[in-house]
Parts: sequence; structure tokens; C-alpha cells
Amino acid sequence: MSAVRRAVPHRPPSSAASMHARTPTAEAATAACGVAAHALVEAGLTEIAALRDAPVPAGGPSLPPRFLRHADEQTVVGLRAVLEAIAATPEPRPSFADYGVVGAPCHAGRIATAQSLAQFRTAGGVAVSPHVVPQCSLHSLAGAVSVSLGMHGPNVGSSGGRHAVSEGLFTALSLLAAAPAADGSLPGVWLVISGWTAEPGLDAAGRPAGSPAIVAEDRGRNEAPPVCRAVAVALTPAAGPGGGRRIELHMPATLRVAHPTAADPCPAERAGAAAEILAFARGLAAGDAAEWSHACPWGGTLRLSVGDADARSRAAGRDGGRREAA
Amino acid sequence: MTIVHSSAASSREAVVITGVGAVTPLGNGFTDIADGLLAGRTGIRAIDPGTFARERQQFAAPVDRIPEPPPVRRSPAADAFADLPRLEQLCTSTAAHALADAGLSAACDRLRVGLVLGIGAEQLKAWESDFLAGGAEVFAPSPHDTLVHRVAARLRLRGPAVTVAAACASSGYSLALGRTWLRAGWVDACVVGGCDVLSPTALAAFYNLRALSRRGDDPTRASRPFDRDRDGFVMGEGGACFVLEPLPAARARDARVYGELAGVGMSSDAAHMVTPCTDATQAARAIVRALADARIDAADLDYVNAHAAGTPVGDVAEAAAIRLALGRAADRVPVSSTKSMSGHLISGAAAFEAIACLAALDRQAVPPTLNLDHPDPQCPLDHVPHAARARTVRVTASNSFGFGGANLCLVIRAAA
Repeated sequence: MSAVRRAVPHRPPSSAASMHARTPTAEAATAACGVAAHALVEAGLTEIAALRDAPVPAGGPSLPPRFLRHADEQTVVGLRAVLEAIAATPEPRPSFADYGVVGAPCHAGRIATAQSLAQFRTAGGVAVSPHVVPQCSLHSLAGAVSVSLGMHGPNVGSSGGRHAVSEGLFTALSLLAAAPAADGSLPGVWLVISGWTAEPGLDAAGRPAGSPAIVAEDRGRNEAPPVCRAVAVALTPAAGPGGGRRIELHMPATLRVAHPTAADPCPAERAGAAAEILAFARGLAAGDAAEWSHACPWGGTLRLSVGDADARSRAAGRDGGRREAA
Repeated sequence: MTIVHSSAASSREAVVITGVGAVTPLGNGFTDIADGLLAGRTGIRAIDPGTFARERQQFAAPVDRIPEPPPVRRSPAADAFADLPRLEQLCTSTAAHALADAGLSAACDRLRVGLVLGIGAEQLKAWESDFLAGGAEVFAPSPHDTLVHRVAARLRLRGPAVTVAAACASSGYSLALGRTWLRAGWVDACVVGGCDVLSPTALAAFYNLRALSRRGDDPTRASRPFDRDRDGFVMGEGGACFVLEPLPAARARDARVYGELAGVGMSSDAAHMVTPCTDATQAARAIVRALADARIDAADLDYVNAHAAGTPVGDVAEAAAIRLALGRAADRVPVSSTKSMSGHLISGAAAFEAIACLAALDRQAVPPTLNLDHPDPQCPLDHVPHAARARTVRVTASNSFGFGGANLCLVIRAAA
């Protein structure tokens, strides 16, 4: 398998810090979570076939036999990204048994669906694969990570389209915000966001043709072989005391009236989900120099930052009715 | 530790349901559906042999008519609504009717109204629909926005819009997220819910998975959750959307309050992608968490709407989870599965079943499980067979489970 891979050590979650939120009466609503580990994996169709048979990196956990036999390509690459991030976490690794999982693929299940439809056309319902629904739906990526790695927190699919970065992060932040901070019932959430650099072209039987489909005129003709890209990030309820990398959500008091359309996407989405995934992963890999922000399609901003966000927030005069407590 | 102003108070603020929009096999709108549920009416019947001519399964619980959105929220021309894909019609209609029911249609221009739709396989359905109509979108897709963004734009909502999926529990997770957004102050109101549509290949896939009942000779008796002779579920379509608001906001504008979303519990089996886990620990954990979140004891429950789809393995697993979570209270908390009437609405199931809980609160009666002639001894619960049971209902719970081992329990109670 090729590719780009970035990973950073895990930082244990802090039990002393919690999600931040403001009421709508404040100027803006904010939330934040810590970043404990991450990895980016890219693979072409041939590499995905190999990963399907041997999904675990050296020294990784064992998976159920042939676990990925019927899995969608984005599940294969997404699970590998989680495994790479775990492998890069120094010993002793924390337990991920109570972690939740959010899987945010983009156009997942298309190849299996095309094959299923082609078979349906020729042979009727009897030819439809029973694996399409459980393995190639929006929940499937999150479900596969949860099942294969024994994670008992909630597992949820999110987005499914080109806003996968916004929706995936928003969903993960939502799960962390919902969990009672004090009881440790949700120590973290694995977020996996995936997509193709260009959708693979398919023949009439639904088999990948090895070349990209032309997905949009405004993106031009891309003749490079399609690559599936997935970033996996372990998010914790908050960064540790004194800072650490964190992802912040800033919600303005007034949001966008209308959502962007395919013909008029917001700037952050123009590049497509795969480019946004790469930008996010590069930000994560930049360490203390991390600078990444992402405009949500409905307004509001997701931002990667390093250090004490509260201090920065106060300095910036954005702390509204904030108060300190022991 | 840093505490942000008001977050401690808002983190426990009551979130209530003030609007319902629904399109289901038992009718459209809260009143029709509640009437149908309490009367023990079934929506299951033979289906259009034209669309489904190549299926071995020829019965389901279809939706007869999808009402257009009310005029104030109808930005596309009336004829444009008819041209939308069926799933988009369902989501648009239910969301718009929920807003209208809540009296918030006109307020969307000044409030931050979020939208969370639980849809498990939007694109599979879209590709299939296009393919069966002669299109080739599945072979070379164009970058459409997902449905949730199209609906948000159509209804001119100013707020976050997210699709969530947990297979058959999808729309239940939308309620969980919506409540979080409100408590976090990210939105002022939130439209949540989910829908699904019958489709030829989905029907075939579930049939080939051996998940569907094969009682084609008697469709109305095919869905029989907890019965010893059950042999699978019956697919249905439709779903529901709700408007969630903080209780003080609802009270301030004198809105009708259907009920409070008082508790949410989530967990994962982490056991198998398809088969329900025979170890009830994690499913029970979701129920226990929901009760704890609502700060109630199991004995306080007046009704449990079971996920129970009528599959041989799933119903036994759920009965074990209910008993494990509720302990001795399981002997006297009424349990029913409304899928015996509605069929299994897949992504829309949890939202529909939240309506069943609201109906129980509204009518002070527990909906029945139809066709429960011989309760399975492996499912020892306080069943409500055949006919509704009148009783005091103030606190309800609804279970939803999905492929991938997703477990969800919602506690819905009468607002204080």
C-alpha cells in the first residue's frame, strides 16, 4: 500500500476538562474537543484489493476472518486509517473499548450498488446481494470500525456527501457534547472521513474501469487514477490542561440563510471532499504549527488549534459570560 | 476547570417536541396515526405488482399519498414537488409539516433552525431510482448536495444540517443530536427525524438476507413480533420529522408540547455487522443510560415501544435486554411493537415509533402488538397483544437497534 501516512502519539483524555458551549443569547456558540491521534491513508483500487485481504498493519490487532470481504472500499481504507493511528500511539495505549465511532464517507457503496443494479437488470431480485445494505450504506464504515475493534460507544454514519468534513466533525462534536463529562462513559470518538479523489469509472457490469469518471465540469478532466483517501482522528472531550491540539467549533449568532448548492458551493467545499480531507490531515500533521480552518456550509467555522484556547479566547475578547471555577 | 456561562443550566434544560410531521402506512399527521395505532389498524398489504414485479416479496407497508408542504414553506412550485425523488418528497413534506405544526414556519427567517435527518442509504436509493428510470448516475455520479442540504435550502432554514445513519435506528439518532444542539446553544430550534422508501433492490436484498417474513398468503398477519411463529419483518416506508425546542421557549410562545425528550442512551454491540448480539449487555446498557439520563427508575416507565421487528433472533435478544435493563420492573411495564401495524420503516422506524410513544402519552393508552397469538416463551415481557390497553402513561421508552450493532433508547415523557 502506498501512500501518505501521518500519525501522532496519543494523548490521554483529561477528566478535568469538558465540552464548552454557550447559549444562543451569547454572541456565538462554541465547542471544542481534543485531538489524541490521527492518521491518513490513501489507496488505489489495486491496493484496496490487497488491504481487503490483509487489513491490519504489523503488530496490529487481529480482526475476524475475512471481515472486509464484502465491505465498501471506503470502509477498507477508513478502517486501515484507524489501525494506523492506533499503531502510532505509544505504549501503554489507552483502551478504546468505550470509544464511539463516527464514519463520514462520501458516496460510499457506489461500486457495489452498480454491480447489484446490473445484476438486478439481468436476473431480477434473486441476484441482488444481501450484503449491499449492511456493508455499503452510510452506517457501514462506522459499524465496521466498531465491530472489528470492539468499540462499544455509539457508532454513527454521517453525511455521505461532499460536506463530509463539516458534517462528520459536527456529529462527532455532538456525541462528545451529549455524553456526561464526569462519568467517563464516552472517553472519546473515532472520526473517520473518507472519499475518492475522483469517482472511479465503472463499466456496464459495475466493475471499476481503472480510470476516473468525469464528476464535474467545473473541476476539469482528471485523468489520474482514482485514489480513496481516509483520515482517522481520535477526538477526546477536551484537550489536556495547558493546551494540546484541539478542534474548535465557532457558531455565529446568525447563520447562513440558504445552503449552498452544487452549482454554488461555499469556498471550503469547492475542492471536493477528498481535497478537504487532505487539508484536514495536513493540518493535523503540522504539530504545533497547525493551522487549519474549515467553513461549514451553513455558516460557522471549524478550526484546529494548539495551546490554551481559553486564554486565546479571552485575549481575543470573545469570552462573553465566561467565568472560572475550581 | 473552565465553565462557560449558562452551559451548566442549559446542559440539563428540558427539550420538548412541539411539532410533528409524518407520512406513514397508517396515515399522515399525528392524529391519524395515533388513531390507527390505538385502533390496531394495519398498513400492511399487497404492493404494486408493476414496480415490484420482479420481486419474490409481494407485500409491504406502503405510503399511499405524500402531502405537499404547506404553502408558507413551499418554495418550489407545486409541480416541482411532484418531480422530486420520493425520498426527498417524504423528507421535505414531513419537515415542512412539522414546522407548520409547531407554528414556526414563518419564524425560520429569524431563528437558527437546525436539521438532522436520519437516512441510512440515501444515495443507494437515488442511484437505484435513476437506474430503473434509464439513467446512469451510479456509473458516473455528479456532485449533488445530499438530501439534507437540499431540504434545508428548500425550507430556507438557517442552521446546521447533518445526515446521520445507524441503519434501522437512524432517525432515532437524529433526535439525540437535535437535543444536543439545543442544549449546546448551537440552534434555537431543530427539525429532526427521518424517512425511508420501499425500493425493489432493497426489498430483494432484505429478502435474500432472509430477514423478511415469507407469509405472502396472509400479509396482514405476516408481521408478528414476539410471537413464537414469527419469521421476519415486513418492510414499510415513510417516516416522521419533529420540531425540538427548549421547554421555556415553547412555553413562552404557548406552543403545544407533545412530550419531552427526556433521556437518550446509546451503545454498540461491537459483535457483528448484521446479526443481533445474543449477549444483551450492550443493548441493555443503552436502555439503562437513557433511564439515567432522564433521571428515572425502571419502575417509573409506563410503556416500552420495542424495536422488535419480528425476526427470530432479534426479538429474543431485545426481550433479554429489556429484562436485564428493567429488572423486576420488566414484569409489569407494558411492551409492544408497533411494527406489527406499520411494518418496518427502516431509517424512518425510530421516528415513527417516537410518535407511538407520543400517542400513548396523548391518549393514555398503550398501542398493541398485532398478531401476537402465542407469545414466545423466550420473550417473557408484559405484552399488549391484539388491542390497546388503557392505562396512565407519563413516561415511555423506545428502543431502536441497527445493523453494525447500533443500540439506541429514547425516553419520552409528558412535559412537566
